[in-house]
Parts: sequence; C-alpha cells; structure tokens
Amino acid sequence: MRRNQGCNPLEHVMARRQFLGGAAAGAIGMGVLGHHAQAVQLKRQEKRILQVFLQGGVSQLESWDPKPGTVHGGPFQAIPTSVPGIHISELLPNIAQRMHNLSIVRSINIKSNDHEQGRQFMEKGRRVGDFPYVGAVASKYLTPADSQLPGYVHVSTRGITDVAGGAAFLGARHGQLKLEGVKPPGNLAPPEGVDALADAGRDQLRLQFNQRFVERRSKALTEAYDASYQQAAKLMSRKEMFEGRASKQDLDRYGTHDFGRYCLLARNLLENGAACVKVTHHGYDSHAENFNFHLEQLGEFDKPFCMLLDDLKARGMLESTLVVIYSEFGRTPKVNVRYGRDHWGTAWSVALGGCGIQPGAVIGKTNDTGTAVADREVDAGHLFHTYLQAVGLDSTADHDMPGRSIPIGDPSAESIKELLV
Amino acid sequence: MTTDAPNEATIDLNAIDPTQTHQIAEFKHEIALTTIRVDPTDRFAAAGAEDLDVQLWDLESGDRRTFKSHKSWVRSIDFSADGNRMFTACWGGVINVWDTSQADPTPLQTIHAHQGSARFVRVSPDGKYLATCGNDLLVKVWNLADGKLVQEFAGHPRHVYGVDFHPGGKHLVSQDIMGGINIWDLVSGGHKQSIDASIMTGYDNKFAADMGGSRDLHFKSDGSQWASAGISKVTNSFAGVQDPIIVLFDWESGKEIKQVKSADDNVKGVAWGVRFHPDNFLIGAIADRSGKGELWFHKPEEEKAFHTMKLTSAARGLDLLSDNRRLAVAHADGHVRLYRMTAQPPSEEKTSEKTAT
Repeated sequence: MRRNQGCNPLEHVMARRQFLGGAAAGAIGMGVLGHHAQAVQLKRQEKRILQVFLQGGVSQLESWDPKPGTVHGGPFQAIPTSVPGIHISELLPNIAQRMHNLSIVRSINIKSNDHEQGRQFMEKGRRVGDFPYVGAVASKYLTPADSQLPGYVHVSTRGITDVAGGAAFLGARHGQLKLEGVKPPGNLAPPEGVDALADAGRDQLRLQFNQRFVERRSKALTEAYDASYQQAAKLMSRKEMFEGRASKQDLDRYGTHDFGRYCLLARNLLENGAACVKVTHHGYDSHAENFNFHLEQLGEFDKPFCMLLDDLKARGMLESTLVVIYSEFGRTPKVNVRYGRDHWGTAWSVALGGCGIQPGAVIGKTNDTGTAVADREVDAGHLFHTYLQAVGLDSTADHDMPGRSIPIGDPSAESIKELLV
Repeated sequence: MTTDAPNEATIDLNAIDPTQTHQIAEFKHEIALTTIRVDPTDRFAAAGAEDLDVQLWDLESGDRRTFKSHKSWVRSIDFSADGNRMFTACWGGVINVWDTSQADPTPLQTIHAHQGSARFVRVSPDGKYLATCGNDLLVKVWNLADGKLVQEFAGHPRHVYGVDFHPGGKHLVSQDIMGGINIWDLVSGGHKQSIDASIMTGYDNKFAADMGGSRDLHFKSDGSQWASAGISKVTNSFAGVQDPIIVLFDWESGKEIKQVKSADDNVKGVAWGVRFHPDNFLIGAIADRSGKGELWFHKPEEEKAFHTMKLTSAARGLDLLSDNRRLAVAHADGHVRLYRMTAQPPSEEKTSEKTAT
C-alpha cells in the first residue's frame, strides 16, 4: 500500500523557503542573543528539545495511566516498569524498561476536546492568541551559533498546517521546517543540467547582487540570506542525513518503517544542532477500534522511540535534551459502541524526561475510573513553562523583542516545579 | 367450515422462516458484550464482555453464573461437545478451561497461549485439541488432556484474528488483520495453502493504519465452504466508516465464492458473526457504527439478502443453537438476546419477552 505523502510541488517550494528562513534565523537569532543582556536566562548552551507528537490523541488508559480491571479500563494490562511502583500499559514494554529515564504527568486538564484548540494550547501554552510554539521558542533561544540546521524541524508525513510554522511574532525564520518524512527539503539540489561549476557561478552572481543591494540598505537581511545559502550548501553536501541512509545496524534497531526512519533522522538532526526536533506519529484518533489501533500504533512507536532514547543517552545527549511525548488531548474513559474512545481533554497524561526533568516521577493522578483529575491538576500552560525551564530558559521573562513586553509563558500559569531537577 | 381455528392450525411454529425472526428472550449483563457462544447441547450461552469476566446463562432457567479469572477482556469462547467444558480466550493471551457445572467456578486449566492477545479459540471436531491464534503471529494447537502445546504454525506476518478446524479434523484455517488466510495441515504439520482475502482489510491513508481481519470464522458442517466475517472498503476506519462484509470460500479450491454485504449502503461497521444454516442460507450479525445492528439472512445463489432484521443494539457475536431455529446474539448494550426464526405464536405476539439477568 502507498502511504499518503500529503504534499505537492508547491509544498516543496514552501519547504525550501521555510528552510531558508529558518537557516537565516540561526544567524540572526543567536547574534541577538549574544549581544543583549536580556531577560531570558540561558543557563547553558547546547540544550535542545525532542518532541514526539502522537497525533490524534493517544489514549492515556492505553499508555501512561492504565486502569486495568476498572469499568473503563479496556482490555490491556498494566506492567511494572524500571521504576518501582510505576506501571504503564503493556503496549509500551520497551518504554517500561526505560521508565527511569522518563516521568509522567497524569493530571492534565486542558478543558477542550477539540483537535485544533488542544494542539495549539499544547504547543503555545496559551489557549488563545498568536504566540510561538515551544519549538519556535527553542529555535530562537537554543539554536547554537554554529548550527548548520534550522532551529525547529518537524518530521511528519502528513498533518495539519501550522501558520507561519508556529513562529508567531518571533518571525518565520523560527518557524518549523517541515520535512516530508526522511526526504530533504525540496529544491536544494541545483537544477538539472547545472553542474557544480555553474552552480558556483550562480552563487557568485547572487553575492554580487547582494553587494549592490546592501550598499543602499541594512546589511542584516543580506547577511541572513547569505547565511541561509551557506547552510543550504552544507545541507546539500549532507543529504544522506535526510535520505535515511542509515546503517543496517540502525535499521535493525529502529525498524524500517516510516516512524523508525523518522526517529533516526531526529537523532541526526539533534546531533547536528537542531534546537527542537518534532517527530509526529500519526493515527491515534481512534473513535472506533481504539484497542486494535493502539495495539498497532503504539507497537510501532514503542521500540523506535526507545532506540532514540538509548542513543541520546549513549551519546551523552539525554541530560541536555528535553524529551516530550504528547498529544493534543487524551481519550474518553468510556468506550463507545464502536470499541472506540473519543476526544478527552479533561484528565490525561504526557510523558517527558531528559534535560532538567526529575526522572522516574509521576505527577498528579486521576480518579479510580479515569474520568477526572484527582490531584495536582495542570494544563498546557504549566507544561509550557516546565518544558522551557527544564532547558534553562526563564519562561517567566519577556521575549527578546525590543520595544515590546511579551512574556514567554502564560503569566497565569507556572512550571511544575516538583518535576524540575 | 370456515372458522378461525383452522387458520391458526395451519401455522407451523416449527417451520424455519427467517423472515419471521423474532426475539424470544434476553439475558442482561451490566457491561457491553464482546462475544458469544452457545454450548452444543443448548443448555448454556456464554458471553465475554468489556470487563474481565465470562457470563454463563442457563438458557432454560435464565440463571447466571460469572466466571472470574481472566485479567483481560474475553474475546472468544468455545465448548466441548457435551457442554461440560468451556474454553475462553482473552486479550491477555490466556486460555482458560472451565467446568460448566461448577457453582463457584475456577479454571481447571490455564494456558498462557500467546504473547499478546489470544483472539480465537476453537475445539477440534474430535474434542481432543484446542486451536488458538494471537498477536504473536502464531497459530497453536493444544492437547486438551494435559494442556501442552502440540503444534505451532508460523507464517502470518501480522496479528492473527481468527482460526477454526475444518470439520474433517485434518486442517486449520486462520486469517490475519491483512485478510491473509493460511490453511495448515495438521497431519504433516506444514503449510498447505495461502489465500489472498485482502478485500477484508483496509489501509486508512489519513491515519496511516491498517484495519481488517476475520471477526468470526465458521465452516459449513460438510466442510465444503467456510465463511469469514469482518470489514471491507475502509473509508475512515478511525470513525468506523467501512463496510461490514462476509466472504464465502470454497474449501476444495480455496477460492472466494461470494461477498455478502448489506443491502443498505448506509450501514457502516463490522460483521461480527456468521453461521451457516442447514437449510442452505447464511446468517450474519452486524454492528453498525450508529450503535444499532442487523441480522442478515442470505441465500448463496441470490445476490442480496432475502431478509434483513434491524437490531436495536449492535451485534458483537452470533451463534446458532442446535435446534437450528434459535439464534443467540451478543449485543453492545450488554444483553444476550435469543431470536427464533419461526413464526411467532399469535398468543405470544403481544406478550412481553422473557427477561433474565
């Protein structure tokens, strides 16, 4: 069967534009950060975020908050993990063995059962308003000065389009570069018939135009574009990173299916300086056949994710990489007549670990039947603060926007302090 | 000469007429049911549910006993020929063997049959073996005398949803989520045939996931055909938008004979049960995505069902009693309902149905 590639030539063009913008941002963003005594406190460089988005709303009862044998528990059992006392669904056996690297927040109530509202809230930490996504914030403040990649990269075969890549007022250069699976952004290669020499000539011509242009204008724009072209050139020379030319050993571990390859690409991107990599795994909006679908989907998710976690740890990167597994909401405790679970933002879970996160913790709890939060209710605003503080950013400070006062996180929320190291 | 009495006398209340199918009893559980099986002596109806238990009703008295031991939902049930033993398979991969006479039942045997779900259990025609299948991609045969594994068949690339013995006792048929059917030779222990039934699976492009497989498998008593119930034509599997389907296969050739679908294009859902009736028609039990259901009555030589009976609650399983007149259906509303495929006695037409809990 053929997977829906979810793109067209125009999107390839847009992808390149996104890439170029994102690449430029690295130069400008870090330059600004380096020259201003700003409110944002970056405790240490070289931190990054890995977001794994289980699109459609993973069921908390089939993942992080199982309640076997209860009225809404479903058919799956809970299994012990590497952390005594913490049990998760049997559908995540590999994660269970690595639970000491992760923590769970089981008490999320976002008060919305709508895909788009839930997704926006989880990304922006605010219910309304044009605010940047976590990934865009990471791009702006965490992108290393020497990064050869855009700050915020999203690996997904398909999905919902994000306006301005989630950058909001941070500028499109901090918006997500959306990769179509493991393919590189479109139009990176020289046009057919243009060899390396000719391409160098084209680039020289572009530089000459830039020189004439800059004589009458600010140098900032042309410098940014120069940087983007340079990064594009570097990227073209390393296409294997995108094309998934993984070793047999890696493929044996991660799997040869799409999500396994996405995780391998995420590893490469993080290793090469991306400040935030988001990997989307589709197929959790299970209004029917919830249990068969979670069996299939989580079965595909569990091992590759764990291989990625292992590799981050083996490379000494886990302590500087915040890892978040999240959705736009959870799923109803009540099983419907189609063996499905519906949208449920009232009492659900995320898992996170790595940089700045207390490992092996469980924050909050739901009641015995999973229908409501019973302790330590939090929402996406709290999570947003927590994510950023975990990577050393002061989420209560204002954005680095001269002349404007825009708090990074929602001032009405705060971080989950007991989860932070 | 022309009185009312002769007209009533002409009604043969034992004549099988599916178009007259009517409910004669119901047995209530508090939780949505998942499957049903009636023992071959017609004494018991057993149902799994969206809990950890098996409910066993005495069809005569309506008395109910609850069989507790599984740690997951029970997906499939079978009985020994005398009805004294019950075999239950759960999502946890466990097969339990029960004595149906026990007042306070505990399993006689527990077999950890599969890694992941055990989706189907069937007793061999000679009553000596159990066939099971599951999410470990395996089909297994167990010796009932000692509960030991006798044979194991590997070859399905994806989760195996259904398995049954050919009435001749020398072969097994199994089917996986991708619709793939394998015929296994119990004598040689080898693989006999692969059959493509990919009509019974669907890939949802939007959600990037497969859905399909056999939700019920049943052989014609002479072994010349078998039928598989499931889904087809997946449009939006995550919302349950697909066609319920029953596919008939010829045993000798392994070829598909016929696809049976709803007469109503608006019916979307899953076929959860299928039975051959000795009078040469097929019965299907359907769960519509709306939560309602249907019973299909279909003659092989005809294009469309000759009768469709609407059900108030989605069907989750079907069995035919040995009198060949009664059907037992497990429903999503927690009820087992008995239906009789005969004319209804005039005196009972307005009386309330027999209800037991």
